[in-house]
Amino acid sequence: MSLLAAKTIGKKFGGVIALNDVSLNVEQGEIIGMIGPNGSGKTTFINNLSGLYAPTTGQFIFNGENITGLAAHVITGKGISRTFQNLRVFPNISVLENVLIGLHCRIDVSLWDVYFGFVKTRKIEKQAREKAMDVLAIADLASRKNDLAKNLPYGKQRLLEICRAIVSDPHLLLLDEPCAGMNPVEMDDLAKFIRILQKKGITVFVIEHNMRFIMSVAERIVVLANGSKFQEGTPAQIQNDKKVQAIYLGDEGEL
Amino acid sequence: MQNIEQRSDKHESTFNNIIKFKSLLENQVYKKIAYILLLLFSVFLPNIVNNMYYMGIINYMILYAILCMGLNLILGYTGLLSLGHAAFYGLGGYTTAILITRYDFGFLPCLILSGIIALLFGILLGLPTRKVRGDYFCLLTIAFGEIFRLVAQAWIDFTNGAMGIVGIPIPQIFGWSIRTETDFYYLGLILLTFTFITLSLLVNSKFGRAFIAIREDELAASVMGINTAVYKIIVFGIGCFYAGLAGSYLAVYQTTITPSNFRLEESCLMIIMVIVGGMGSLLAPIAGVVVMTIATEYFRDIAEYRMLIIGVIMVTVLLFRPQGIFGTSAFKS
Ligand SMILES: Nc1ncnc2c1ncn2[C@@H]1O[C@H](COP(=O)(O)OP(=O)(O)OP(=O)(O)O)[C@@H](O)[C@H]1O
Ligand SMILES: [Mg+2]
Repeated sequence: MSLLAAKTIGKKFGGVIALNDVSLNVEQGEIIGMIGPNGSGKTTFINNLSGLYAPTTGQFIFNGENITGLAAHVITGKGISRTFQNLRVFPNISVLENVLIGLHCRIDVSLWDVYFGFVKTRKIEKQAREKAMDVLAIADLASRKNDLAKNLPYGKQRLLEICRAIVSDPHLLLLDEPCAGMNPVEMDDLAKFIRILQKKGITVFVIEHNMRFIMSVAERIVVLANGSKFQEGTPAQIQNDKKVQAIYLGDEGEL
Repeated sequence: MQNIEQRSDKHESTFNNIIKFKSLLENQVYKKIAYILLLLFSVFLPNIVNNMYYMGIINYMILYAILCMGLNLILGYTGLLSLGHAAFYGLGGYTTAILITRYDFGFLPCLILSGIIALLFGILLGLPTRKVRGDYFCLLTIAFGEIFRLVAQAWIDFTNGAMGIVGIPIPQIFGWSIRTETDFYYLGLILLTFTFITLSLLVNSKFGRAFIAIREDELAASVMGINTAVYKIIVFGIGCFYAGLAGSYLAVYQTTITPSNFRLEESCLMIIMVIVGGMGSLLAPIAGVVVMTIATEYFRDIAEYRMLIIGVIMVTVLLFRPQGIFGTSAFKS
């Protein structure tokens, strides 16, 4: 059984058809890429998947469970985390606190515990901090734990956003153009980081415009065009596909 | 032009000292020592001051400190603008006044019930945060505040209208009669300590972090697994709980309460105190309370210009320190 099955997902915004009958499977443990020209519906797809929008048609089956249209916080609790195309770390709080907020749904503390279960709450808080520090260590951010997130360089903020997403041990991680604004060195670091995540058992779904990056990281690639699934295959197949080249050359010629 | 820059440089350096002082306090050992010294100082303060007029002013500062720390949870931590805080303060005040004068309740049950009633109404008013956006929610809170005041004025059978409730008896807790300014000081100090301890437990937990996340970026917060709708209701209820406690204190301290104690102007004053002191850190609003109370006392002779003076002070502080005297950088813009 696939980790995620998207079945004929459609999304309309008023008259605009942003997604049209997109079906795809994500297998446990893989790194799957999604590419497509600007406005082809990539972000809309993961916005629907992560519960920010409800799809107009179709279903998302995750771990055998229908999660279509559930609220975002519920879907996160079920093990789908994400980052944003336009970087949304919490700017005015520390790096460590950012990651701790990512751990929110895994911290089993009730209001009652806050006021009356002092010992339990303290112990859980301490574990949470250790966990957050472990994740920051993987991304080489541990030494900056007390810096405000907004004071990190851009590439580091992107890494922080990923840390915040993976600290809750998700089954599936959605990355929306993680390379945007990164220099080539940072991109290589990111590629390494994604492979580490894969080894840790996280399935990664990555949207990216940078072809060099996506071709080197993804094991399988889905191409979207005008809201529909246009092609699917290994990086080599996609790179050599004349039709895919055509939509990209027609659009911006990045391939 | 250059002049202005130099002037603001000078201010920067005095404020830098404040920042140094703050970073010193981040050390856990120093922090504990500071708290103990502060507590000792507070306990012996009446012996030092020994002047009933000044003790009275200090008591009002404590009252506003409780109000503003609760409001700061809503405004500074979670980023919800509420201009109806005086209504919850009033709900607490009337709960205590009515129960104590008509139903012979003891003060302690009155205090607790005042908090709880404010909490319940807070939750009720928090419910629309699910549906309406921030600025419309703010309008709703103004409306709620005004409705509360009008009801208190018009429902004469229950609230005695504009005359208010008078003759609230001397409160007693476990045999301790609270009569003098000093007694009320200690009662206030206990409530303030309670407020501080419970609030710091809350803001240092995952709940506090969730509130901050909502302030920083609500959409991202929801993707972190935070049920933002529920958290906003919770935070509103809890923030109002402290206003209820403060209202209860006001009732027994003044021995009389009237609807005019809970006007929109009061809500505005509380917000200004929080902004001037600094939003989003637990004790910072107290600085605003102290500055504003001293200023309004000092200019007492020209009381009709009270709001003008308050406005001038606020603008001056924010000019040099946009985040308030002790505020976190989140509000620096
Ligand atoms: N909230 C919305 N309301 C209305 N239209 C929207 C909304 N979100 C997306 N769209 C439209 O849906 C289409 C797909 O947008 P989407 O952001 O998913 O594209 P994308 O593939 O992520 O593009 P890019 O590469 O630029 O990020 C676009 O035409 C966009 O204008
Ligand atoms: Mg996009």
